[in-house]
Amino acid sequence: MTDLLALIVQQSVNGVYLGCLYVMVALGLTLIYGVLNQINFAHADFVTVGAFTAFFTVTRFATKVLGIPDTGAYLLSLFAALGAGALLGWVVSAAVFAPLRRRGADELRPLIATIGVSVLLENGQLALFGPIPYQFDSPLARETIRLGPIFFSGQSALVVAVSVAAIAALYAFMRFTFMGKALRAVAQDRETAGLMGINENLVIALTIVIASALAGVAGAMLGPVVVLTPFTGASLIVKAFAIVIIGGFGNMEGTIIAGLLVGIIEAFTVQYLGSGLIDLVVFAMLLAMLVLRPTGLIAERKEENV
Amino acid sequence: MLISIGVIAALPWLLASGYWRGILVLCAMNVLLALSLNLVLGYTGQLNLGQSAFFGIGAYVSTILIKTYGWNFWLAALAAVGAAGLVGVALAAFAVRLRGHYLAIASLGFAVITYQVLVNWESVTQGVRGIYGILPPVPNTVALFYLVAGIGLLVYFLLDNLVHSPVGDTLRAIREDEVSAAALGVNAAVWKAFAFGLGAAIAGLAGCFYPGFVGTLVPDAFGIVESFTMMAMVIVGGMGTMIGPVIGAIVLTFLPELLRGFGELRLMVYGLALTLVVLFMPGGIVQAWIAFRNKLA
Repeated sequence: MTDLLALIVQQSVNGVYLGCLYVMVALGLTLIYGVLNQINFAHADFVTVGAFTAFFTVTRFATKVLGIPDTGAYLLSLFAALGAGALLGWVVSAAVFAPLRRRGADELRPLIATIGVSVLLENGQLALFGPIPYQFDSPLARETIRLGPIFFSGQSALVVAVSVAAIAALYAFMRFTFMGKALRAVAQDRETAGLMGINENLVIALTIVIASALAGVAGAMLGPVVVLTPFTGASLIVKAFAIVIIGGFGNMEGTIIAGLLVGIIEAFTVQYLGSGLIDLVVFAMLLAMLVLRPTGLIAERKEENV
Repeated sequence: MLISIGVIAALPWLLASGYWRGILVLCAMNVLLALSLNLVLGYTGQLNLGQSAFFGIGAYVSTILIKTYGWNFWLAALAAVGAAGLVGVALAAFAVRLRGHYLAIASLGFAVITYQVLVNWESVTQGVRGIYGILPPVPNTVALFYLVAGIGLLVYFLLDNLVHSPVGDTLRAIREDEVSAAALGVNAAVWKAFAFGLGAAIAGLAGCFYPGFVGTLVPDAFGIVESFTMMAMVIVGGMGTMIGPVIGAIVLTFLPELLRGFGELRLMVYGLALTLVVLFMPGGIVQAWIAFRNKLA
């Protein structure tokens, strides 16, 4: 009996760790949707870019050029990935979202344009890095932390810590800063916020940059635990969308809960049904959710989309 | 009509190598797929990213009926088209309740589930090991091209009649404003189901020819990327017009071939082209051409 309990707790811990990674990716999608009512299909490819940035920071720049020991190098790579994600977000915002917004495009065209960006990023990285998987080590992944019968790696502790810190920082930003308030105002009503003197284009660009930075960091944390190829992020995107919908489009709390829920369900699916069925279970959940409660776990104001 | 028949008849002899004839068959299949998506996306305005699933259902149902149960190709194709159409009507049940991005993700989720079923239901689909040694319904590539292109032409003219009939007006009314359409007595649920079902059946029909053409059948051919490709064809050509998706399918089938010299940069250029078309030619090639002609006149 205690064995079963230990197993359940252990899988829940694994699930929370996985869920935190999902939350980091899905939060960005939800932020962008909340402010812009648009889907960024290339979002998960920013995760890949973050992972490759971390890879080169750890294996080349930090250890070879700066001569930092590997734990420091890995922590530095988190910031490098954050910067890479933010930069990429700014480029996509300025080159794709802003021109389409000026033209007053419908919901379809930005979606297609970002599908194009996604194909471009994936194959650009394929041309640069080749199809052979990359592997790099997080020194934290080698540490095992033991709490009674429960085991977890230092890497999963880091993922949970960074995710909690990122979410806390995001909430503090939204609550206590002027830009955060402006962001919420634009999310509620873009035109009125513009009339009140808020520079909506700046707010939207900032939102995309923040969302993409989160994706970059997620990539740096994901990099050491997966086989890193140009298509690593792409396998995440549909699941991230599922989480955003299960949580309710544009709803941050809902996305966090849904992300953790999907992580935990995935951990138990691996334990009891086999890893081949993960996507099937997650998407069956998505479709069930859409039929039973299309507004998401936490109902939102965007009735017009349902 | 006569011109297009003439062009189709001449093409395999203009592009006479086996390789290019294969591309022609692929192109004809892509035209069918683009036409099928355009009915749902372009004319009915439903953001459907699940079209790859119907292509896959058509391919698997027909192949399994032929290989495992020894059915005749045409009978199996008929069953496969029916199966894809029925699943399309079932997906429309979601479209009745969901709009815009929600429908896009729901249909994408549906495509992922279909793909996962193809991978995991090994006793029937052979999973990732695939089904091998599938024969086309006609003896050679040229005949296969004539067959698929002929069906494409037929579907084109049937759809052309459909969208210029009152049914087409009804679908467009749903696209422009569903609430107003309902106020005018249009039963949006029924007509959405009709568009999804017919679109799915046409994609399923294209799917019947794919396995025989390639010779093998693996789930990877029906991943969500395939849905994106179809959508790109419709958008690049010009959605909501009849000829647009046909042009889009032709351009996007041949463009990667012409870019083969770029090696690995090929697909990168494809992604860039997609983004640039959306940014600078929002109505696709057809509208850009009309604007260009008006400027000359």
